[in-house]
Amino acid sequence: MTMTDVAFYLLSGFAIWTGWRVFRVDSMIRATFLLLLSFTSVGLIGLLLSASYLGAATIFMMAVEMMVMGLFMVMFMMNPAGLNPMMMVHQHRLSIVAGLLIFAAMTGAVLLTPLPSDPVAADRPVLRDLGIELLGDSMLIFETAGVTLLATMLGAVVLSSRRGRFGPTDAGSVPPGLSAGGPPAGRQPKGGGSHGGHGGHGGHGGQGGKGAHDGHGGGGSHGGHGKNGGDGNHGGHGG
Amino acid sequence: MTLSAILIVSAALFGIGLYGALSQKSFVMLMMGLELMLNGSLLATMGFWSLALGGAPKGQLLAIIIMAVMAIELAIGFALIVAVYRKRQADVTEALETLAR
Amino acid sequence: MSLIVGLPALLALLLIGLWAAAALDTAIGRLIVGRPVGMAATDPLRAVVADYLRQRTDTEAPDHLNWLLAPGYYFLLAVVGLALVPFAPDQSLIALDTSVVLWGAAEAVVVVAVFLHGWSPNAPFPLIGAYRYVAIGLPVMLLSMFVLIAASIPAQSLDLRAVVESQRGLWNVIRQPLGLPLFLAVVMSLTLRGPFDYADSADLAGGTSAEDGGPRWIAWQTARAAMLVAACAIAATAFLGGYLGPVLPGWLWLSLKTLAVMVAVVLLTHLVPRMPVARMLTLIWIVLLPIAFLDLLIAGLGAL
Repeated sequence: MTMTDVAFYLLSGFAIWTGWRVFRVDSMIRATFLLLLSFTSVGLIGLLLSASYLGAATIFMMAVEMMVMGLFMVMFMMNPAGLNPMMMVHQHRLSIVAGLLIFAAMTGAVLLTPLPSDPVAADRPVLRDLGIELLGDSMLIFETAGVTLLATMLGAVVLSSRRGRFGPTDAGSVPPGLSAGGPPAGRQPKGGGSHGGHGGHGGHGGQGGKGAHDGHGGGGSHGGHGKNGGDGNHGGHGG
Repeated sequence: MTLSAILIVSAALFGIGLYGALSQKSFVMLMMGLELMLNGSLLATMGFWSLALGGAPKGQLLAIIIMAVMAIELAIGFALIVAVYRKRQADVTEALETLAR
Repeated sequence: MSLIVGLPALLALLLIGLWAAAALDTAIGRLIVGRPVGMAATDPLRAVVADYLRQRTDTEAPDHLNWLLAPGYYFLLAVVGLALVPFAPDQSLIALDTSVVLWGAAEAVVVVAVFLHGWSPNAPFPLIGAYRYVAIGLPVMLLSMFVLIAASIPAQSLDLRAVVESQRGLWNVIRQPLGLPLFLAVVMSLTLRGPFDYADSADLAGGTSAEDGGPRWIAWQTARAAMLVAACAIAATAFLGGYLGPVLPGWLWLSLKTLAVMVAVVLLTHLVPRMPVARMLTLIWIVLLPIAFLDLLIAGLGAL
């Protein structure tokens, strides 16, 4: 067993363990950066596999993406710091079975298939290959990816803009009901949604249905709403 | 470091990702599951490229495309989360059961 | 270079660099405000001892693990950066043909480390510092990316060793005059200094390190100084010809150039004021980023 093998097994074990912990920790920030560790391990495995650009670029890209992901976690999760125990899952058993099944099926396929063996030559200029490929034969594909990314940027801005085609997108925004077709949960924003972005966080308490969420749900609907504070519209808090 | 070992690791990552994507209620955690699945496929691609294709340049191109897919998934996913939250004040998948109406 | 010889040598150089950074910071800071320089060389060491003996504080329900790990990550990234720097022709501790990209990855993870450091104490000022830093740190990283790509264009390689060799005729600082100034901004942002210090600044009572006391404070400040050494060494390598120079041995040239960059960064730290976050964001996106494009254009035209 060479040093490379040892490094590979350590990194793979770490990648899988951190990947698993992502869905098991309470703190959402920890979950995000555990995923980053998993990606970093895969990037380092890439470096071992002589994919020097891909490995480094994976770490680079994922560090930025996970940083943004972390901010979204804080914005949209009720328990970002993991101060309360939390388990927000549905169809849990089905998911476990599906995950195990796909793992077993793929492992079986890997073990049963005679895999070709043609390792990359040590003196192959892989970086140069990549550059020539990107701007040569596969330029159209590469450019398509670029145009798609541009479309993504535009789409993301359009989708997340508050200024919609027919007025503010959060005008008349109503939180979903506690039961299908039921009355909306939480507080409803007033006045054309000028601060609708924060209204009705209380909805969590109802949906989560767990003690751990209620505290935050209540806190969300009270905190930072000085303008709306006195309107007495606290109905339907649920939970 | 054999190709089968790499592929099994990537299958494990993919399986965990699928578990996460199916089981998590929150949109953001769901996306983490998707990212982990893509992580697995990225590893498999790099493994195939390095150990079975003799370093054919198209393999690296595929890996780059996977990275682009990750970026697109993330950007559009976040935009959708923001849009849905604006419209429905929803941040878990259950809250969109009534999306059709 | 083998790891057994290289790593201790690198850590020894880093230690000297740390001391130099701290002493420079103290001396220049005092000079600029017109105080006697005094024992600037030993005062940082005394401060370390004093900080170690200071009362240790803790906050309510912090993320202990990440609070502990954040300075470690920061320091580790600095070591990785330094290990990428070639000390002699073809001699760098990490021999990688994409060392520029790996350094970019290290820069990206710095943002994560600083965010974690601000997030973990579970206190308002550190958290505000962390958020501010993410807003500034991510676009600044784009600057670094373009500037470093421009620097590697004449070398036709993403390898820092080749980047140095390509400067035998003419240093990049002359060939691409916009590169080094922009990279100095990146260095200041990476090390949370002066005009780019949105994480640990005085207006937030210390920002992400507001709740650090005793060993935590020492660890974070050490990591910061280590990152200063690493980033200055990268700047010296990418723009000032690294180990190239007559008579003296290569590693000494590299150290001298690193020191020169460090002096420039410390001067800027103490001389340039800090802008509000919104204005700084505008400056980065509207002014500095187009200048970085221009730098890339100059490099590309020069290569044609």
